[in-house]
Amino acid sequence: MSADLKDDPVQLIQQVAGGDREAFGRLYDRYASLVFTFAVRLLNRPSEAEDLLQEVFLQVWRQARTYRQDRGSPEAWITMITRSRAIDKLRSIRRIEKSLTSLENAPGVKSGGTVETVSEESELNLTVRGALAELPEVQRRVLELAYFEGLTQSDIAARLGEPLGTVKTRMRAGLERLRGFLGAKAKGELS
Amino acid sequence: MNHEEWLARAEIYALGALDGEDLTLFEAHLASGCSSCETRLRETQETLTLLPRSRTPLAPPPAVKARLLAQIAGEASRPQEKRLPGWLSWGVGAGALVAASLLIVLGWNLSVTRQEMQRLKNQVAALGDEVNQQQEVVRFLSDPQVRFVQLAGLAPSPAATGRLLWNPVKHAGLFLSSGLPPTPSGKAYELWAIAGSEPVPAGVFTVDQGGRVLYRLPPLPETKTFDKFAVTLEPASGVPKPSGAMYLLGSL
Repeated sequence: MSADLKDDPVQLIQQVAGGDREAFGRLYDRYASLVFTFAVRLLNRPSEAEDLLQEVFLQVWRQARTYRQDRGSPEAWITMITRSRAIDKLRSIRRIEKSLTSLENAPGVKSGGTVETVSEESELNLTVRGALAELPEVQRRVLELAYFEGLTQSDIAARLGEPLGTVKTRMRAGLERLRGFLGAKAKGELS
Repeated sequence: MNHEEWLARAEIYALGALDGEDLTLFEAHLASGCSSCETRLRETQETLTLLPRSRTPLAPPPAVKARLLAQIAGEASRPQEKRLPGWLSWGVGAGALVAASLLIVLGWNLSVTRQEMQRLKNQVAALGDEVNQQQEVVRFLSDPQVRFVQLAGLAPSPAATGRLLWNPVKHAGLFLSSGLPPTPSGKAYELWAIAGSEPVPAGVFTVDQGGRVLYRLPPLPETKTFDKFAVTLEPASGVPKPSGAMYLLGSL
């Protein structure tokens, strides 16, 4: 990837807030693959993921001045924008499918295109994937249903036919493991 | 309540999965200024960035960057232009005055091109229109019965948005959109007020270059209780039942 990892992303966002288009290009190079990968997972439709990628970065450009470092990392900010826009889309699609099935020509599933994977994966991605793979299946499932599908705790309980309390416990246990992994990673980087 | 339970809610809230009474209670708790829940929420949001990182990374299509750079270059060249949702601010009148004064000053500057003058004139006219639109919105909003309905863009134009100011007592509505694609020749957008699963035509409209419209709904049957609103693309004369693709949808 061409992204310059030596750039401080917080500084890049500040430059973008000042209208620096070159900094915007660098910020894009740094996070576009992450946003696009996430968008494909969320929407399951590469063509719509492409639109979402564009919308997310347009929002980043327009709202860079509202970013506050003390409220989260640039990565958390950008992934939250991506997730929230994607979930809005998913929910409106579901609402239509649910309540307006009688309408003809409701927007259907766009045919998917093909996407290329990034040839070189960062070490971080590989390690994260390993950690996720170690998560017990039931924990990973509830986290994914919430985070990627936009389902609430009650939706998930209904979907899995499990008591609400079990779903909450699994979510927390999964998050606990992820947090433990992050903590271990931070320690590893320091040592 | 044991504070550990609040922290548990903070985590599920960060995951976007809190609902029902848990959600109401937690939001009230957070609004009361609990800093440890606030911290837990932030930490969990950071932890969650691992989930998108856990996927095999995909290369974004190169065309997207080119489109974005072209799009933001266009925006930067029009720094005075007000963007939605600035409709409700009162600053536009002042903006119009500034633009008008600019027009006079620039008139004395011989190096200023005619095109630049024309552009500014158009801008003043556009700002004037915007002020009129705002006044209409404000008049409409002055009725305490008015409800606000957000319409989200669907598959044909996911970036489009609509807002409907709906007065359920008078069955009157004011519709605003942005980002809708221009309509092809012979076509127009048709707005639908939906009672249960029955769509009732609420008029046709077209949009400006920014995909915007400010549109007052015609009188609608008072016997029906509308709970959803949608926009579809239809023949320009309008149709009694929706037949084209749906662009926007929102619920009360």
